[in-house]
Amino acid sequence: MTKTSIRQWIRGAVLTAVALAAWSGTALAQEFEKIENIPKQEIPAGRFVSIAYGIIWVAVLTYVVIVAGGVKRVSQQIADLKRRLGSKG
Amino acid sequence: MRSLGTGFWIAVVVAAVGFLVVPYQILDTPNEQKMGFIQKIFYFHVPCAGMLFLSTFVCAGGSIAYLFKGSERGDRLAHAAGELSVLFGVCVLTSGPLWGRKAWGTWWQWDARLTSSLLLFLMMVGYLLARRYGGPAARKLAAALALFAAINVPLVYKSVDIWEGIHPKTTVVMTLDKSMRLAFASAFVLITLLWALLLTVRVRLENARAELAELRLDAEDLVEAQR
Repeated sequence: MTKTSIRQWIRGAVLTAVALAAWSGTALAQEFEKIENIPKQEIPAGRFVSIAYGIIWVAVLTYVVIVAGGVKRVSQQIADLKRRLGSKG
Repeated sequence: MRSLGTGFWIAVVVAAVGFLVVPYQILDTPNEQKMGFIQKIFYFHVPCAGMLFLSTFVCAGGSIAYLFKGSERGDRLAHAAGELSVLFGVCVLTSGPLWGRKAWGTWWQWDARLTSSLLLFLMMVGYLLARRYGGPAARKLAAALALFAAINVPLVYKSVDIWEGIHPKTTVVMTLDKSMRLAFASAFVLITLLWALLLTVRVRLENARAELAELRLDAEDLVEAQR
């Protein structure tokens, strides 16, 4: 048996061992085991209600700010144009 | 731009008071037996859905006036209402999944009510995009789209009764417990008042834009006449 073939044999054995270990890990992960005394996972309702409420008011306020900006800009443009039209007769 | 009037400012004060009072009323209601505290999203999720429907109907009404009578005022009303549809659509489609995550254990399901609501929202986004980027000719196309969106509204409303998905049925509002009715009615009135205020201001903005366009035409005529 040459050195090269021994190395190949060892490498194959190591790879097989790693593959077997990984396979057994997967097998374990697919089994459900009952665990006692773990606290119940709860989604915080209060936080969700606050976020929903907040999103609604932020959306409405953002819209109000955008519309108010538009009203101000258009009003200025109208006043400016009327003044220029007035000065030209 | 003309002043918004005394009635408008009274409504603003009432809405401001409502923002302070209604959340306390909602917190004061008893928790729902199965869903618990998360059910309180209902008090503003449902009124927002109502305003989504109402905005879509108003948008369609204005679009009909524009399509069949050439009414520019109708078109301006439709544009303003179309924006409010998208605004309240955002409110519905964000508060709903937050409620669903806690109550059903999932953010989203392709349930008939949820899917048809999303489609309605997307139709109204399409309406605004067509108006924004489609040029003057696209206004009629957008108006036609608003009509289809309005036809979709009764389907969205009845979808829970017809297909019976994960979403609560329409009967939950009519059979609401006495202890929850006042808070729900207050929230609905408040959101409706807010909707009316936003629509008034938005229509005023559209009218001002139309006035500005006319003034620009006058200015161009004046420049031409002086040459």
